[in-house]
Parts: sequence; structure tokens; C-alpha cells
Amino acid sequence: MTADRSVLPSNYPPGDLAIWIFILAELAVFAIFFAAYAFTRLQHVALFNEHQLTLDREAALINTLALITSSYFVVRAVSAIKVGDRRRCVHWLLAALSMGLLFLIVKSVEYVQHYSEGINLSSNIFYMFYLSLTFFHFMHVIMGMVILAAIAVMAARGRYSRQEHTGVESGASYWHMVDLVWLILFPLVYVMR
Amino acid sequence: MKQLSETLGIRPCTLVYLVLIALSLTAFLVGRLGFSGLGVSLLVLFLALIKGQLVGSYFMGLGSVRGLWRWLVFIWLFIPGILIGMAFTLSYQ
Repeated sequence: MTADRSVLPSNYPPGDLAIWIFILAELAVFAIFFAAYAFTRLQHVALFNEHQLTLDREAALINTLALITSSYFVVRAVSAIKVGDRRRCVHWLLAALSMGLLFLIVKSVEYVQHYSEGINLSSNIFYMFYLSLTFFHFMHVIMGMVILAAIAVMAARGRYSRQEHTGVESGASYWHMVDLVWLILFPLVYVMR
Repeated sequence: MKQLSETLGIRPCTLVYLVLIALSLTAFLVGRLGFSGLGVSLLVLFLALIKGQLVGSYFMGLGSVRGLWRWLVFIWLFIPGILIGMAFTLSYQ
């Protein structure tokens, strides 16, 4: 008899253990980035505070809501496959992907605006951190969307079921990591001063 | 969180989602209204750490895992959280 993981506590997180090792490595890199930002700011407080005001907080809020909403949709997709509802799982994954796409569009518009204003990595140390951090995260959003899209295709083809859905849980965990990182990045770069 | 969600008649993950939205809007408003200062920064950071823990426990499912994995997100939030808090505190001295 197989124990239901959703009911009994497990010794391992949902999904494949390998994805969690990967997530750990990613989180460690972002943690170093965040600490580097905070301690570099210490040497240039006035410059960071001045240029932080040039960022588009409304766009950042839209992106925060988009990522949180997409994470919620992924939770619903996992819940659906756990009861064997493949169709609903695919629908939730597509909804999550649409939120990811919204994030990419909004962030791209921000980058185009910065570029048109002549802002780049060499402008100053604040923009160097801002552009590096957010673009590194941007690449993770793309990676997460590729994973979610692959899972949606496999789910539509009947690869996952109520009994076997490790792939969905693994992809979901990665996507939540992308959301988690943004939840710290947003206040750190856009709000705290 | 589970009891409250039962009282409200919604799923725990839906309640967590609504709390995450509310906390994000709060952080945004703090920035939008021009509030600044050490206390405000630390409050915004604290709200972000709560949001991160909610994502870890409820969305990533670590709340129902035994052992060290359960604390993965908490530890990840705690270390940079302390460092960021320390750096911002020092910037006001």
C-alpha cells in the first residue's frame, strides 16, 4: 500500500530530489547577490537612494502580483493532477504560463525604457546591481516557463497521473523558487531605502 | 492558517494567496507614499520574509515535510534577511 504524501508527513520535499539540490544552489547564489547589494549600498547610500527613485514601482508591483498569481495557479495544477484531473492540471499550467509571460512583457518594457534613457550596466553601481540582479532573475523566469510548458505538454499527453506526478511537483517547486526570489528582490531593490 | 481557511470556506492555498497579495500591496504602498527610514525598511523586509515563508510552507509544500528540508526556506530567508537588516541598520549610523 502506498502512503498518500499529501496526508502523511514525508522526509523529502515534493518532486525529484535532484531539483531541490538545484534549487538550493540557485537560492545560495541569489542570497550572495542580495547580501552584496545590501553591503555595497552601505558605501553609496545617497547614490542608491537617488537612483532607486527612477525605477518603475508600479511595474514592479504588477510583476509581483503576476508571479504570486502564477505560483498559486501552479499549486492548483499540482492539486488537480493529485486527483487525476489531467485536463484541469493543463489549464492551470497554461494560466500560470500566461502570468509568466505578463512578467516578461512588463520587465522587457522596463528594460527598453532604461535603454532609451541611456541607462546600462556601466551607468553607476546601483544600475549595475539593479540590471544584473533583475536580468539574472528574468533568465530564471524564462527557464521556469520552459519547464512549465514542457510539463503542460507531457500532462496533456497523459504522462502524469494521480499515482505518478513527480515531474509536475518538480517543475512546480522550481517555479515557486523563482517567485520566492522575486519576493525578496522586489522590496530590496524597489522599496527599501 | 488551515483553521482560518475552513472558517472562511476557502482552500488554505487560496487564503495564503490572498495574504501574499495583501502584503505585497502593503509593501508597494509604503514605497509609493514615500515612507523611508530604518524602521520602515526593516518592516518591509520583515513582510517580505513572512511572504517567503508562506510560499515555502504552503506553495512549495515544505510545511508538511519532516527534518532539515522543512527548514530550507526558513534558513535561506533568515541568513540574507539578517545580512540585509544589518547592512541597512549600519547605513543609518
